[in-house]
Amino acid sequence: MGLTQQSRALFPSDLLGLRETLATLPRLLEEEQGWYGSVYFERKTSRVLAANLKNTQISDSTTMGAVLRVFNGETLFEQATDELSSDNLKTQAKVLIARVREADALSKKIKTSYRTPNWQARLALKLDPEILSQIPKQVTATTPVHFGIAFQNDPRTPSPSETFDRLKKILEECKEVAKEVGIDSTDLTYVLARQTVAEEVGLFIDRETNMSQTLLRVALVAITMSGAERTVSKKGGLGGLEAIQISKDELRPQIKDLQALRGAQRLVPGRYRVLFGPVTTGVIAHEAFGHSQEGDTCARGRSMAWDLYKSGEKVGNKNATILNNPAIFANATEPCAAWGSYYFDEEGWLAQEQLLLDQGVLCSPMTNFTSALQLGVPRTANGKRESWANGVYARQTNTYFSAGDKTLKQLIEDVGDGYLAFHPAGGMEDPKGMGIQVGLAYLEEVKGGKRTGRLFKGPAGGEIQMTGYTPDILNSIVAKSKIEADQDAPDRATHPFNDVGGCGKYHKELVQAGCGGPYMLIENVVLG
Amino acid sequence: MSTLRWNIEQLKTALEKREELKGWILIHEHFKRRERYLMHDHTTLTMDQDREVHGENLRVRVMVLLPKNGRQGEASRKLFTSEPLAPQIDAAIEAALQTDYQEWSLPEGLPKNLPQLKTADPKMAEDLEGVMKELTVRISGAALKARKAKFNSAELFLSLHDFEVYNSRGMIYRYSQSRIYTEAAFSFSKKLSSGEMVSDEFLNTRWAVALDDFPIEGLFEETAERAEQTLDVQKPESGRYPVIVDAEVLGQLIAAQASQLSATNSYHGLPFLKQGDELFAGAKGDLVSITLDPSLDYGADTVAVSEQGLVQNPLKLVEQNRVVGTSADQQFGEYLGMKPTTVRGAVVLSPGSMTREKMTQAAPRVLEILQFSSLVVDPNRGTFSSEIRLARLFDNENKSVKIIKGGSLSGSLKENMLEARFTQNCVMRANFSALSSGGSGYFGPEFGLLSNVSVVG
Repeated sequence: MGLTQQSRALFPSDLLGLRETLATLPRLLEEEQGWYGSVYFERKTSRVLAANLKNTQISDSTTMGAVLRVFNGETLFEQATDELSSDNLKTQAKVLIARVREADALSKKIKTSYRTPNWQARLALKLDPEILSQIPKQVTATTPVHFGIAFQNDPRTPSPSETFDRLKKILEECKEVAKEVGIDSTDLTYVLARQTVAEEVGLFIDRETNMSQTLLRVALVAITMSGAERTVSKKGGLGGLEAIQISKDELRPQIKDLQALRGAQRLVPGRYRVLFGPVTTGVIAHEAFGHSQEGDTCARGRSMAWDLYKSGEKVGNKNATILNNPAIFANATEPCAAWGSYYFDEEGWLAQEQLLLDQGVLCSPMTNFTSALQLGVPRTANGKRESWANGVYARQTNTYFSAGDKTLKQLIEDVGDGYLAFHPAGGMEDPKGMGIQVGLAYLEEVKGGKRTGRLFKGPAGGEIQMTGYTPDILNSIVAKSKIEADQDAPDRATHPFNDVGGCGKYHKELVQAGCGGPYMLIENVVLG
Repeated sequence: MSTLRWNIEQLKTALEKREELKGWILIHEHFKRRERYLMHDHTTLTMDQDREVHGENLRVRVMVLLPKNGRQGEASRKLFTSEPLAPQIDAAIEAALQTDYQEWSLPEGLPKNLPQLKTADPKMAEDLEGVMKELTVRISGAALKARKAKFNSAELFLSLHDFEVYNSRGMIYRYSQSRIYTEAAFSFSKKLSSGEMVSDEFLNTRWAVALDDFPIEGLFEETAERAEQTLDVQKPESGRYPVIVDAEVLGQLIAAQASQLSATNSYHGLPFLKQGDELFAGAKGDLVSITLDPSLDYGADTVAVSEQGLVQNPLKLVEQNRVVGTSADQQFGEYLGMKPTTVRGAVVLSPGSMTREKMTQAAPRVLEILQFSSLVVDPNRGTFSSEIRLARLFDNENKSVKIIKGGSLSGSLKENMLEARFTQNCVMRANFSALSSGGSGYFGPEFGLLSNVSVVG
């Protein structure tokens, strides 16, 4: 992303004093030889404005806290607090040290040593220019390094009334389109337009590093309902307001689908040829060899991917290439960074693209700090937590299949008789059993390679579930689209589109995650 | 950053002095959490992470009058005692002035004679650290017990939350809540005749409020047993089945349906069942009765009074499949001209008369879901679907029990509850999520039998 007419999000000046205090803690925490001390701080401030047919709403939220960390060669101990006075932080450090000492006295295990990387080691890695360009040339252990997300229109500046005007315009446009497609005003029972703007400040300090990042996270959601039927449009990413502009034309498919859903048929359960859209393809990647490739899951003996990585056994065909990449600062052709991006993770590791599955062959897993040590594999920037108050796990960022070479038009023709599955409805991993569940809100029928416009709901009138054995599905990928699937010309974008998404570790620990990829045609898909 | 700049009394005084405010609600929470992440390391347990967390949440909801007849503004905001007070109140009021709601008022009068409810486990309230040590020892014993299945990992989270609720009518309400979470993962491996090693796992999770509702040893035993069943599995034959689901699933299904009994749904034009309607039209199995009960001992949402200042008593929503109540807080009750009612509490489902064993014999083939992968419930349509993570198929004609894994199930409460049956035995379940500061609770039959559910293999 070029920086013409762009600004970067700065490190907030009101946190400068706290940064100085936090910088004194890592050495304080390293009271015993072999202990590794570090500090993570976050402040996430968000403002949600929403308009529906009855009211307009504002909700402001802030979560802020520091996590003091000591790794004693066996266990990662954390002491987290949101009382950020210098005295309390020092008190918490003493409490933490006492806890580690008590555990050390009880454990007879041989400890693993950890060598803290310095900037020279960090810069030896292959880093995105967007990261490299923000690291000072003469960087040292005490240099405060700051990464700020680029944006054009600062999302923090518009007044609530300006934003409400925009949201109400979306409501009106939804009503206008509804009328155009044949939905009576009385049948458009609920409409909501919601904008979220968040400023997320992160700070990581250890004895070799003092770095911060400020991300601006923006999202826009439009929900329309007719009775119990519901359709959704959303936009979002990291950057400015330019990332969440939505036009009346972009709302049209959502309302047309709502009208079609009112008379939609129920799917007969069975096996079908299905063209998945970028977001549903992303859910497949995420649930298939996203979760299975989380290092902590592997280290706990809970993923078959670790065994398959070591054996080199193939689990998919040549189209089965999956990446995880927190360093997507240009989201396909969108004017923003992808939703799951950042400069460094919450354990201070710089973001890099990583291959998880290469043409059906598994690669090394994504890791957090402890799982990299436990497995003896490289660190990656995947240490994430729900908030400062939650524990850190190996988590996905933006997970997606690599792009192919077909256009969307070609792929629809290749479907023949089958369905388009463009609208997700959740999913679930099964890393050890290698099953997969991908929820689909509804399907559109394709007959003879042409869209019929007829929509299908699940067999009981709700969502449709795609299930199966992950390697079977990855061996059934027929073709994939280009990144810019609506054009014949070669792709200009580097990374496939990643949409706004969220992710749980099994059933909890919710974090932001990008979800996307190319369009992907799969045969023999079990839908029910 | 400095320490405390002001206290709650100063905040209340500052809010009372602001003439723009027509009302306000304050919720102040202090919490302490202890967490341990345990994993298998050859013959012993090792601790991957050990965490201690101290935090505070202070949230204000302000209501302001707008210069439009019958309208008011509202906004909520988190406040920080380490930052100057006045600018934070100004910001909340400024935000509220930008919004536009139909007018309503907090109820007159103070709640009286509030019952003393059991909301926090006394042992946890007294010594969280001691309980953590005790449960760690119990988990170690349960995890390392010699079995065919291999222990992989466990998590143990304990927390204690102290709440204070204030509002502009002068209400002060204090209570504490304890929360416990554990998960256990066991795997099972075996060598096939081809020489290939195969392996699968089972993961169990459980939330509770009280230690007595938290059967660690039983949970670990069940997890290990189910892990041992994960390899001799087959996919289900596609078709329609009577399906047994457990209390965890029943709780989610009934809570989703109960959302259609709320004044909020009625006001916003969302699917709504009014009093006199049948909950499930034409139902003729065990007819469902549903109560919202905020008074259960150690329920996930046990509370004596709402933040608006309304005393919370058990509220009957459905009697024998007939809707008899609507859940309405002061705001939505006033909008709809209804008397406000209880809005908090666990969903209580009436028991049936069956046993689980009888359910397994209720038809030639009965599918018992041991675990869904991820149950998706649509509260508007009343539909649900999931992959089957593990199930038992009781083939009563061939007198065999097969273990099922994979395939998916999809249902509609309107259709699959028509001949539903429930067990007489009832259990309590709790769930806490990041999406909500409170919990959701269920008390009701341990098992339910749904009819004619679509399954694809």
